[in-house]
Amino acid sequence: MPVWQVIYEELKKVNPNFEIISFAQDSGGEADAGPILDAANVTYTSVIDTNHHISALYNLVNVPSAVWVDEEGKIVRINEGTYAQSHGAFGTDEYLPIVRDWAENGADSPYVWNEEQVTEKIFQRTTEAEKAQPTFRLGTFFFAQGNDEKAEQYWSLAQELDPTSWNYLRQDLKYEQGGSAGPEWRARRDSIESAGGTYYAPLDIEENTANN
Amino acid sequence: MELSRFCLALLATAFVSSLANAQTTTVLYKERVVEIEQTLPDASDLWVKPADLTRINDFELKPQGACLAELCIPVLQDRDSDLYVTRQNQGWFNVTELADILQQSWTTDYGARVWSFGGMPVDRRAFFESAEAPNFSLSDREGNPVRLSDYRGKQVLILTWASW
Repeated sequence: MPVWQVIYEELKKVNPNFEIISFAQDSGGEADAGPILDAANVTYTSVIDTNHHISALYNLVNVPSAVWVDEEGKIVRINEGTYAQSHGAFGTDEYLPIVRDWAENGADSPYVWNEEQVTEKIFQRTTEAEKAQPTFRLGTFFFAQGNDEKAEQYWSLAQELDPTSWNYLRQDLKYEQGGSAGPEWRARRDSIESAGGTYYAPLDIEENTANN
Repeated sequence: MELSRFCLALLATAFVSSLANAQTTTVLYKERVVEIEQTLPDASDLWVKPADLTRINDFELKPQGACLAELCIPVLQDRDSDLYVTRQNQGWFNVTELADILQQSWTTDYGARVWSFGGMPVDRRAFFESAEAPNFSLSDREGNPVRLSDYRGKQVLILTWASW
C-alpha cells in the first residue's frame, strides 16, 4: 500500500486522468484493513470489500491482482498477480514499469491488450465453482454476525466448490492456526506448483505487437 | 353436517394464517442485503411478493412476464405455475426458480432465513464476450458510493489486496 501511494502521486502528475481504486478483500472489514490504509496515508479511492465482491465480479483468484480499465470502460489487462515491487519471497519489479507506461501512453501503450487477448485471459470458472461465490457470501454474512461456526461451515464449503480460489482459502486461514501463509497454505502451494500449476497467473509483460 | 363444515372452516383459517411467513428473510445479491417481510414457507424455494422481486434483483413483473431491461421471462399470472402462484389474492413469485432458469447460482441457510445469490450469466455476457468492465457500486471507508460507471474518461487501475 505505501508503495502504491507513492506511485499514485507520481502518475497523477503525468496523467491527471489516472485513477487507482483499491479493494481490500477482507471479511474482517475496517478492523483488519483500516489500520494498514491509515498507516500508508492512502489518498486514492479505497474500498473494504468484505464479501470479496470484486474478485467474484472480475474472476480474480488471489491477491494482489489488478485490472486495467480504459476511458470507455473496457478492460485492457486482467488476471495478473501484481505486486508493486519485490519483497522477500514475493513480488516482482517488472509490473510497475508497465503501469507507468500505460499512464503515460494510454491506448498507445504496448502493454494494452485488445479485446480478444483480454477475453482469453479472463479466468474461467466451472458451474460448480460459480456456486462458491454465494456460499462464501453466506459465510461472510454469518461471520459479520459473530456466528463463527456457520461462517466456517460455508467458507469451507466454498473452498470445496471452488478450489481455484486462493482468496477463499487464505481468508479462512487468517482465522485458523498458522495464518494465511502458514503450513496448510504452504502445503497447498507446493502441491499446485509441483503439479506444474502456478500460484499466481504468470505475468505476461511481452510488448503487444497485435495492436500495431 | 354443520359441525363438520365448521371444522373445515376452522382448518382452512389455520392453514391460511400459516400461509405467509411473517419472519423476516434476508436475501444477499450483488452488493445488496435485502430484508423481506413476508415469504411463503418453503424450504426449497424462495417465494416473494412481486415488489420484493424488484428489490432483490431489479426484475419487474409485467403482463408479459418477469423483465429486466429487454429480457422477459414469460410468467402465467392467471393460474399457478412453478414461477408464480396466487394465494388469497396475493401473487407470489419464485425467485429461486427464476435463478434456475437464468442459470444463476444460489444457496440458502433456511434455518436462518438467509438466501444468497451469485451473478446472473445474462449480466456477465458483456464481460466474457467483449471485455466490458463489470460495473459495481460499493462504498468507500467514508460511506461514499464508488461506482465504476462514474469513472468514464479515466484510466482506472483496479487493485485487490488483503490484510491476511
